[in-house]
Amino acid sequence: MPSFVTSRLFWIGALTVIVALVLPTYVSGYVLGLLTVAYYTAVFAMSWDLLFGFAGEVNFGPTFLIGVGAYTAGILDAHFSPGLSIWLCIAAGALAAVVGGVVLALPALRVSGPYFGLTTLVAVLMLQNFIVVAAGLTGGEIGLAVPDVISIDAKTNYWIALGFMLVSGAILFGLSRSAIGLILQASGQDKIQAGALGFNVTKHKLAAFVVSAFFSGLAGALMVFYMGTASVSTFVDVGVGVQIIIAAVLGGRRTVIGAAIGAIFLIGMGELLRPLGELATLIVSVIALVVILFFPDGFLGIIRGGAKA
Amino acid sequence: MLFWQILIDGFAISALYALGATGFTLIFGVSGVLNLSHGAIMVGAAVAAWAAASEFGVGPYTGALIGILAGFILAFATYFIAVRPIQRSKAIAESEKEIFILTATLLWGIIIQEAIAYLFTNNAKTVLPIVEGVTTVFGVRTPRNEYFTAVICWVAIGLLWFLVNRTRRGKAVMAASMNPRGVTLLGIELSSIYLTVWAIYGLLAGVAGILLGMFLGVSSYSVGPLTASAFSIVVLGGLGSVSGSLIAAYVVGYLETGTAYLISPAYRTIPALLLLVVVMYLRPQGLFGRR
Amino acid sequence: MFSLKSFLLASCATALMSSAAWAADPIKIGVIAEAQAVAGSSIAPAAQLAAEEINAKGGVDGRKIEIVVYDNHSSSAESVRAFQRAVSEDKVNAVIASYISEVVLALEPWAGRLKTLMITPGAASDVITQNIAKNYDQLKYTFHGYLTSTSLAGLVCDAAKDLLVEPYKMKTAVIMSEDAAWTTPLDAGYEKCLPEIGLKVVDHIRMSPDTTDFTPIFNKIEGLKPDVMITGISHVGTQPTVQWKSQQVPIPMFGISSQATNSTFWKDTNGAVEGVFYNAVSGPGVAVTPKTLPFVEAFQKKFGNFPSYAGYTSYDDVYMIADAIHRAGGTDPDKMVEAMEATDYVGTIGRIAFKPKGDPNPHALRTGKGYITGLMLQWQSGKQVNVWPKELAAGTITWPSFIKLKAASN
Repeated sequence: MPSFVTSRLFWIGALTVIVALVLPTYVSGYVLGLLTVAYYTAVFAMSWDLLFGFAGEVNFGPTFLIGVGAYTAGILDAHFSPGLSIWLCIAAGALAAVVGGVVLALPALRVSGPYFGLTTLVAVLMLQNFIVVAAGLTGGEIGLAVPDVISIDAKTNYWIALGFMLVSGAILFGLSRSAIGLILQASGQDKIQAGALGFNVTKHKLAAFVVSAFFSGLAGALMVFYMGTASVSTFVDVGVGVQIIIAAVLGGRRTVIGAAIGAIFLIGMGELLRPLGELATLIVSVIALVVILFFPDGFLGIIRGGAKA
Repeated sequence: MLFWQILIDGFAISALYALGATGFTLIFGVSGVLNLSHGAIMVGAAVAAWAAASEFGVGPYTGALIGILAGFILAFATYFIAVRPIQRSKAIAESEKEIFILTATLLWGIIIQEAIAYLFTNNAKTVLPIVEGVTTVFGVRTPRNEYFTAVICWVAIGLLWFLVNRTRRGKAVMAASMNPRGVTLLGIELSSIYLTVWAIYGLLAGVAGILLGMFLGVSSYSVGPLTASAFSIVVLGGLGSVSGSLIAAYVVGYLETGTAYLISPAYRTIPALLLLVVVMYLRPQGLFGRR
Repeated sequence: MFSLKSFLLASCATALMSSAAWAADPIKIGVIAEAQAVAGSSIAPAAQLAAEEINAKGGVDGRKIEIVVYDNHSSSAESVRAFQRAVSEDKVNAVIASYISEVVLALEPWAGRLKTLMITPGAASDVITQNIAKNYDQLKYTFHGYLTSTSLAGLVCDAAKDLLVEPYKMKTAVIMSEDAAWTTPLDAGYEKCLPEIGLKVVDHIRMSPDTTDFTPIFNKIEGLKPDVMITGISHVGTQPTVQWKSQQVPIPMFGISSQATNSTFWKDTNGAVEGVFYNAVSGPGVAVTPKTLPFVEAFQKKFGNFPSYAGYTSYDDVYMIADAIHRAGGTDPDKMVEAMEATDYVGTIGRIAFKPKGDPNPHALRTGKGYITGLMLQWQSGKQVNVWPKELAAGTITWPSFIKLKAASN
């Protein structure tokens, strides 16, 4: 039975990827732009899901990591362009996010449950305050306009985002299923037993933070150079973090792939309902709530057919 | 004179924080739920009171009552829509229930927030104050409404204390927070305990919401910051400890007020955040945490 | 709320009516606005009204105007997405965008990248036009259809001189503004022009737009004992106004308060706005030009409420774009830009012309005598009364009960 399910899922997945690859020939630049943002958001959600699965705790701070990555890349470009290539800025952004992840992990891993959640939330609030107060450097509430973008061609941006999402997804998924990944899952769900079995739980969780931070920061930096601006409301706001958490749970938590599905759904639905104006967010939230209540395994669970106990 | 100013203003805002935090910690202590739609319920109550007054022209007392009723209804709705179905669900593993309830209450809060913005725009609203005018004490001129706010908050907290320590039902609620199974062995239905707690919470959040609406005003944008603030205060004080929340509320309230007066209003929230960081690092269970 | 419904009904009706007789392709104007904010909610309906009026007279050279609306939820990111959609998918020929400076600044480079004419009916930051001066060829597609913060500061000072300094001999002021893109040049303008009219600036307070508790701010200001508070607020409005009244701060508020321009503000503040002075380019019952009052009447009849300040300018913007397309002989972006630069149009807010290339603020509105002069209004007993300039004044100033001032000396 399992091998059948895996192979069905595999074929669905392969088909989806092929469709995604050829999409640009058939749809408008606008839809491509939407999907580009959705793909970056998918990476945010997948990184969060990895950390959630491994750390075993809900963290409210994905936007801390994303924000550090995005703003570092943005600030470097705004101040040093054209001397510094944007790819260097992006790399610097990812690196800064990793450092940020380690700095956050140190206090965060000492606590659990709501305290962990709060520590991560506080990190986001502090970053937000810092950005607003240091407006001369960061553009403050107004946001930062970066002079360079990766490309203004919608197709190029789309393929970069798609490629990035597929590669990140493969790496993150692979990690979650690898030997190390399974150990981390175990320690996430039952620290004491894992510790008793001789695994250095904390060191492994730190590694999980680093991986999540790397991908979040990298995705954030890439997105800055897609949009041409960085602002608190796009990258740091707690609301963005909320969207990411909802995407991961909606898609199917602890599955990595589910998070990507959830993110694409949320952004897609938001767009489809655009004509309804203000009601769009409301309706998407209602749909998300219904799915969570009746299909706890999220979309991936629905695709796999039936909820698992 | 500045001293009295800070003392009085700080007291009022801390009292408001305390009332909000008390409800939040009560729900966590008894039913283990971190209700992330907390801010939405408070704002919902305030907006209901404002709408009653501006659309139907009712007076301040009726408006306040309608607001509290709205808080009550929203709290129950939260329980029946976002919390209970998950607590009872057979499809979700026990260890997973927490994140589901978290996400569900988060979504429910967003739904309320968007509904408010859709129906009433995202402009700030203020509730007709029950007490108007100013009084001057120690050379400090303060709106009477501020004293009223502080008094009502403490009356509500006092009533809660009385309820929990002196009445049978209240004591059952406290017992349930410490040992749910033990309480059922005494023949008390846990589900009725939960209903009682959510009812109390609804009233507390409703009162806090309308007082906030009268004192400072609210808008759909206030929802997130209100929840985050209650969350921070409660964790600072120690989850599940009502007295911890009260003390933490005053610490945060005075830190903010002092900063706003002595340093600059722009940096108001920063010292409280720094304190939170320090406490999380040195004493992660909060000042008075017992779990 | 009712405006959205009638707006939707009106759109349906227009769509049905217009499918009939138009031969050539329509001219599409995209409107990106904040539908949930009171100020932004008038932008799209006012544009729709203008489009209908123009279409009823035969359109532009036989082409009808279609308005395509995007709600940006007050977010720069959504605005950028909407702009990209408008140009690449919906193929609009021009965009009317927002009243928030942060949004317009985020869109400005995109208007350049996608070579699409864009005009803002409500944002104020000078940086918008300063950017055009720095990079004219790239950014020339943006036009600033509202007063820049610096001109606003100048107008507030002119009004303060006539209304406060001369009759009441006021000597000191405190500047109180929210920390946002548009207030940086505004405050700089205030700091320069207030001393020039005889008001010494004793302090300058910038507060976070997320502030909810204004008590410490008002107490601090009161401690300095200025004669007047010169304001620069837009994102906040209800809360500081209500708290000003409930604290009975004995210092008048005079200057820019965007939300006070809304006709619903009295209700929003439960009357606390009594006595507050605010600058605007339009006001109920004030016939700035012969087109002003008919526009207000038509808007009220169609949508059931008064337009916000950005509604007046949005209405004018549609007419100006139509006129520019007519003079350019088509929708080629570069020709449209040239035609817009030559605009000389009497709209609802005054005579509109733009500053040319080479000016430190190209594409900003010309202000001063003969062009846009602005008004100063005061809320009195539930009504917005214009008190300046004298030629257009409908009443004299009054003071709320808690402000005790020596009587005017003229």
